[in-house]
Amino acid sequence: MQNALSITNLSFTYHSYGEKACERIFDELNLQIKEGSKTLLLAPFDKGKTTLAKIICAVCPKYFPGTLSGNIEVFGSDLATVEPWQLLSVCSYVSQNPQEQFVANSVEEEVAFPLESLGLCRAEMQERVDTALKHWGLDRLRTSSSQELSGGERKRVLLAVTEAIDARFWILDEAFDDLDQKWRDQLKEMIKQGNKTVLVLASRYLAEFDTLFDQVLLLDEKKIVAPAQEQLLCRFSQLCQDDLPNPLAAQVCTPPSVRQLVCTDLIAERRRTSTLEEACFKVEVPHFSLQSGELITLVGPNGSGKSSFSRILCGLDGYLHGAIKVDGTPLSGKELSKKVGYLFQNPDLQIFLPTVNDELSWSLRRRRDLKTEEIRKKVAHCADLFGLSLSDTPATMSYPLRKALQAAVYYLLDRPFYILDELDSALTYHTALTIIRDLRQHGAGILLITHDKQFAKRVEQRTYSIEKGRLCEL
Amino acid sequence: MTINTFVAGKGLLYRFDPRAKLLTVVLLCIWFFLPVRLVGLYTVVGLLILLGALNTGFSHILKTFLSILPMLLFMVLFMPFNVRNGESLISIGSFTLITAEGLEQAVRLAGRFIGITYACTLLFATTVMQEVMLALRAFHLPYKAGLVVTLAFTYIPFIAESFSQIAESHSLREAESEQGKRIFQRLKDLVPTLTSALVFALRSIPNLAMSLELRGFGGEEKRSSFKDLSSYRHPFTHTLLSCIMLVGFWVLFRVK
Repeated sequence: MQNALSITNLSFTYHSYGEKACERIFDELNLQIKEGSKTLLLAPFDKGKTTLAKIICAVCPKYFPGTLSGNIEVFGSDLATVEPWQLLSVCSYVSQNPQEQFVANSVEEEVAFPLESLGLCRAEMQERVDTALKHWGLDRLRTSSSQELSGGERKRVLLAVTEAIDARFWILDEAFDDLDQKWRDQLKEMIKQGNKTVLVLASRYLAEFDTLFDQVLLLDEKKIVAPAQEQLLCRFSQLCQDDLPNPLAAQVCTPPSVRQLVCTDLIAERRRTSTLEEACFKVEVPHFSLQSGELITLVGPNGSGKSSFSRILCGLDGYLHGAIKVDGTPLSGKELSKKVGYLFQNPDLQIFLPTVNDELSWSLRRRRDLKTEEIRKKVAHCADLFGLSLSDTPATMSYPLRKALQAAVYYLLDRPFYILDELDSALTYHTALTIIRDLRQHGAGILLITHDKQFAKRVEQRTYSIEKGRLCEL
Repeated sequence: MTINTFVAGKGLLYRFDPRAKLLTVVLLCIWFFLPVRLVGLYTVVGLLILLGALNTGFSHILKTFLSILPMLLFMVLFMPFNVRNGESLISIGSFTLITAEGLEQAVRLAGRFIGITYACTLLFATTVMQEVMLALRAFHLPYKAGLVVTLAFTYIPFIAESFSQIAESHSLREAESEQGKRIFQRLKDLVPTLTSALVFALRSIPNLAMSLELRGFGGEEKRSSFKDLSSYRHPFTHTLLSCIMLVGFWVLFRVK
């Protein structure tokens, strides 16, 4: 049987724009994937999974400059002689960050765009678009634009695009992330039943992966290795530090005073402007409470209103009816934003200064009650706690470090309550749990939004569920 | 990395042929610079606003106005001081501060700016981008040039959206003791927000280029089209109607 992918002696280093040279990501890496096989490649975060996927799709180093050596063949074609657009019908890539892959203005146009490139006739395009949208539950959102979709809905759009293109080789980068259980099961079924060659890249071993793959590989020490599965999972667990004790287990949280955040009879509406169907989405919260020291989880399917509720809770969006009270006092949006810290899923939206030191001291310098020396001490202590170097440039730091910096900024703000939106989606469990532990040091109440049941099990004290906009305690 | 400017609706403008709409917008932009009376200029602007409110809703019209308000104020406030000709309206001693002509030009400039903004906004709010692209191609613009135009019109709102997201995140980082901010502090806070939005936009460029290529853009083969404009049955009538209206306004409001 022909190899769908053959990589021989691949080495890659990103170009450095600073004084410090970038570390080599792959060193004499070899990988063979047989046509029609299903492969899982595990690697901890920031070890080059996405880079490998982009190299296979021929867009790296073309758009992400670096030095590459070695030989890569996709279905026998040498990638050195192929342009990315020539791989359209051969290889489909689903990115870890769905937002970065959107090129069209609506769900329907997004699915149709590559089909137009393939030069298909209108009738066939219509059929493929309709089938893919129906299959991924996007039929009613066909005219919606990407900014009006939730993270899970965006991921489903990319999977619908992949299904519509019907390429021979699928590269799915953290494709199970962001999806709720229903869609995870569907994706699993699609991988299992189809005759495609599938390469799934993952930084966490999910229960869904059991018995799904022909081969499970590990990216370790810049090379791909394939020991026996039990040994591989053990090594992977070590690399992700999952074998270490749960950082929350030993933490005794004793808040100096007990503060309470309560929502009652809250009703809010969100409108999608780009579609007449499902134009109005209602969020209803009969009762919600969070108090100092508590760690609660919020779970719910894609598009159920988790982020909408979070935005209301931290004062970014308004509501039509009900009240949000802190310690019994109803607060306005502006007041809420200073009580409830909201860590966005994407840390890059909350980091904007040239150095870690600037980032950490930005909020403190705006306080009139702090002297320069006090600020310096607080910043140094915080950097130490979160494992950050004050002179580092956030833009060139790794994703887990940027996430840690985002948390460190909020740690210094010392909010009584925090909302952590999908904190675990690009971090190891251990890193995510360590961040939670540090944020709770002063007794803050934490609301954690997650899709990952395994992660939720490690932290939850109480759980709220939200479905079709209605929140209830489980 | 692109943002939809389309606002779903069922009004008259949604049924208007995209080719006719595109041509009307171009002609309107020219019309606003013809020598017409102020009352005529503002009548056409008023009609555009009314048309917009009936089709895309009053809140969309208001949002559009608020988004251009800072630039509008900047232009209108400084314009009267630049024009020194005409009857003096306000003077300090022998120094003329504002003249009647300066004031008239400022009001005219504001009218043109508002009019052009609404004409373009209504085109993109009532036409899906793929139909804008088809309309451009109907005027023999090559596909790649058309894509660049439509991408630009969706990428600018993307940067604007990123800017507002970043501004939101900055507001969440304010210290608890901070009270109402002064104008100077607000302006100072704009610098990091603008820098972050710019960095964010620049970092997204390789991703956009990558995604376009992965979707087959760049190939030499002829692309097919998912949509066509056959559902719009009266392009000629709509174009004629637009031209007649514009000529009518010109005859009615021209400076004699």
